[in-house]
Amino acid sequence: MRTLPGILLAITLFAVPPALVAAEGEPPPEEEESKCITCHTDTELWEGEQLHLLVTEKQMAELAEDVHWKKGLRCHDCHGGDPTSFRTGDAHAEEAGFRMMEAPGDVPDFCGHCHADIAIMKRYNPSPRTDQVVEYWTSGHGQAMKKNPEDADVAQCVSCHGHHGIRAVDDLKSPVFPTHLAETCAKCHSDESRMKGREYNGKELSHDQYELWRKSVHARMLLEKGDLSAPTCNDCHGNHGAVPPDVDSVANACGTCHVKVGELFAGTKMRHRFEEVKLPGCATCHNHHDIQHPTDEMLGMEADGVCGRCHQEGDPKYGATLTGAEAARKMRRGLDDLDAMIEEAKRNLKKAEELGMGVQKPRFELKKASDALTNARSLVHGFALKPMEEVLDEGLQVATVQNETALERIGEYHFRRVWLALSLVPILLVVGLLLLYIRRRPIPGR
Amino acid sequence: MGDEPESPERRTWLLGALSGAVGTTLAAIVYPIVSFLWPRESTESGAMNVVAPFKANQLPDSGGHWPPPFDFGGKPCLVIKTPGGEIRAFNAVCTHTDCTVQFQPDKGQFLCACHNGIYDLNGFNVSGPPPRPLETYKVDFRPTGTPGEEEIIVSRT
Amino acid sequence: MSPAPENGPAETAGWKQRLWAYLSDRVGLDAMLALGVKKRVPIHRTTVFYFLGGMALFLFIVQIVSGVLLSLYYKPSPDQAFESVQAIMSEVKFGWLIRSVHSWGANLVIGVLFLHLLTTYMMRAYRRPREFTWVTGLLLLALFMALGFSGYLLPWNQLSYAATNVGTKLVGVVPVVGEYLLKIARGGENVTGDTLSRFYALHVAIFPLLALALMGAHLYLVQKQGMSVPPRVAESHGGEDKVPSMSFVPDFLLRDAVGWYLALGILAALAALFPWELGEKADPFASTEIGTKPEWYFLFMFQLLKQLPGTIMDLEWLEGEMVGVLFFGAVGSIVLLVPFLDRGDRSRRALNFFAGVSVIFFIVMTAWGWFDELPLQIILGTSLLLAVLALADRFLQRGTPSRRALGVAAALTVLVLIAAIIRELTR
Repeated sequence: MRTLPGILLAITLFAVPPALVAAEGEPPPEEEESKCITCHTDTELWEGEQLHLLVTEKQMAELAEDVHWKKGLRCHDCHGGDPTSFRTGDAHAEEAGFRMMEAPGDVPDFCGHCHADIAIMKRYNPSPRTDQVVEYWTSGHGQAMKKNPEDADVAQCVSCHGHHGIRAVDDLKSPVFPTHLAETCAKCHSDESRMKGREYNGKELSHDQYELWRKSVHARMLLEKGDLSAPTCNDCHGNHGAVPPDVDSVANACGTCHVKVGELFAGTKMRHRFEEVKLPGCATCHNHHDIQHPTDEMLGMEADGVCGRCHQEGDPKYGATLTGAEAARKMRRGLDDLDAMIEEAKRNLKKAEELGMGVQKPRFELKKASDALTNARSLVHGFALKPMEEVLDEGLQVATVQNETALERIGEYHFRRVWLALSLVPILLVVGLLLLYIRRRPIPGR
Repeated sequence: MGDEPESPERRTWLLGALSGAVGTTLAAIVYPIVSFLWPRESTESGAMNVVAPFKANQLPDSGGHWPPPFDFGGKPCLVIKTPGGEIRAFNAVCTHTDCTVQFQPDKGQFLCACHNGIYDLNGFNVSGPPPRPLETYKVDFRPTGTPGEEEIIVSRT
Repeated sequence: MSPAPENGPAETAGWKQRLWAYLSDRVGLDAMLALGVKKRVPIHRTTVFYFLGGMALFLFIVQIVSGVLLSLYYKPSPDQAFESVQAIMSEVKFGWLIRSVHSWGANLVIGVLFLHLLTTYMMRAYRRPREFTWVTGLLLLALFMALGFSGYLLPWNQLSYAATNVGTKLVGVVPVVGEYLLKIARGGENVTGDTLSRFYALHVAIFPLLALALMGAHLYLVQKQGMSVPPRVAESHGGEDKVPSMSFVPDFLLRDAVGWYLALGILAALAALFPWELGEKADPFASTEIGTKPEWYFLFMFQLLKQLPGTIMDLEWLEGEMVGVLFFGAVGSIVLLVPFLDRGDRSRRALNFFAGVSVIFFIVMTAWGWFDELPLQIILGTSLLLAVLALADRFLQRGTPSRRALGVAAALTVLVLIAAIIRELTR
């Protein structure tokens, strides 16, 4: 060991990170307590197979942003060993608690040393989660890792969270913050070569999920409208325990947000049939990953209608009935009729408004019809005609009444014109009588 | 004026007819003006505040018949009373798909029946698809002389 | 005199006379009546044009009454202006009528004033000593156009917003002070809520007060100097005193009343046939619709300014709009100074030529700006021209060459009008 130059180098290199750390309001690590950095940042010490043990300047800078570092944790708090010793053997002695990572498969338990320990985690969070490691081993990743702990292509903690620069999950720059999460998953899952030959439950994994999701209504809400409650990968698949939802749990996954349609669907015969024939709940009609904003056209037997995929005349699939086809047609007609009536009422109200007639009240009332339309659209998922028709009828009644009100207002406007024209009669009568009077009253002296 | 060739009756008839016609037109002018001056019935459009169609003590303490949302600038306005007795007002338009939410006093929450979105009594979205809290309005009271019978004035903040 | 009204029924037969006497004693009704009876109005072929002033006065009163009524419900703020006008038209009883009358009355009063100006010019009633009657009258016309412009913004709809934007922008092209004038007119860089408050103050307080003051001066001068007799009429009767006349009260007043009632009738007919609509609420960020036009009485200016190139002769400092604004300023000044420019036959001929060109320019530009299609433009233009020729006809002696020229012009105009109508109908 070249001790003297080593120390000098350590001092010079050390000058950078403490400055960064100090900026965060943390005291600089005391030199004598943390000797790890002295060697591990010495560029001349590491080469070849050991090069990965060098902590670069860039990594030191990242470390300053690390949530663990910010909380005052230092190298040995994760890696173990004796940070006060310059002797390689003492510093890395197993007796000193040094924890070795020999394969990627060691990472989860390495992190779990603290993250699965309630006593330790409690220091940082009064109600900590400590189930991440347990969950991980149930995930697709964990199962694959169990099979081959040497597999560097299988995700473990650092694949998503990073190492030596791990940010808190609510940090906007964290790779697992909702707006970045999908990209992070896509690093592997959009990589065709990595996904090749991988399977889950006997089904080969595809590599287009990110691309598809990016086009979905959920991605638009999350990335364009900044709605953090919109789902990204982990909201349906789970995070540490990420797996594709089973066919019969798809509806439950969607139902965590889409509560009402989830509940409606859960009570239908349709759902049981779907489970019997192994069709996934919501995804059969709405797709998965590239889920789009639903349209009324989806309901029906025509080209864009999803019902017609099974309820076909002549060739019904999965035992779909023609009664169902008829119900779908009726539902669709009901939605179309109400929508058309609301639009007509809106048009007439706008016309009346432009003529200067008050339309505030009918417009307010018309909202009930719009509510009914939205409600009916979610009632579609109960696949029962009657409750939907009740709501539709109510809405249609409101819309019709308000449309009539609008037409009445327009009629009143025209009535005013007639009334005003009639006022011309007495005016012209006065003019006539005045002229008559003037004629009979010659100007004296003319 | 004296050299009138007309018979007096004809002149009187003409004058009478003339005053009658002038009177009619005057009435047709005065009547609309007086009607115009008469206070209008409905509330003002586009106003920044509105008086709720019920008094403070007409809100039930729990359960009972809760007054439906009323019109405030074209939007439904819900006035509620918390279990602590505080009166609050919200724009009842759900932030998800614009349905009108309903107040559920027994559960202490607002429910949007279209997609089961739920808001708490502060208007925060706590469950279901709503992305944002409900818009809140400011509530003021105008004394009417009788305690408890204050008028509720809801205004935009 | 003790005509107490509570006197017994035996004396009610004479209550009118006694009330008259009571008031005469106190407010001088007798003196006023004597003045009215003494005032003579000359009778000749163009006496009918004396009614135009009275009609304008009547319409001004209508405007004051309807305007005051509207101000009871109108709220001059960008948040509420549109809504309050909408409420006037829908929630307030007969609000639609009052608003329609006010809007149409504004147009009608300016139309009547245009005719008043034209016929006064034709009668040459601006001659000494009536120069200031002419000047005050012309200022009144300008004031009423300003009233129309400021009132147009108040409903705060898309059309009015766009028109105010374009109109106030013109102020900005005046050399040197334009930029400051623009800021003062708009109350800032852009048309905003402050502009609305400003226009409201101008429309309901400043302009009406100025109008009342000017009108007082105008009427005082008319009363002091008596009615002007056209020189040619005086000549043919051998002197102004020899022209037959009628007394103002009651003969002229009765005829005036016919004019007022006709104005009322026209107002009712216009309001019934073309009720004033409200349009859409102003949105400062919406793009201006194609085909935005000002009120008809600004159309002749608007149309010319639209045709002018951005810069004239590629000279950067010579902006088309600036030239146009200065041009109308110059024309306005000439019209204002007519009484002082009319200094004999030669100058009068030059003025007549100027007047003729101005009227034709006004008609062509208005017709051009009003319609987009040529046949319709021709129909409107020739109709307006015929109306002006009919006016002029009254002032020309039978058998004179100018009268004959007028006849030929009228015949030609009628031919063009008929051709245009046929063309339009067969399309």
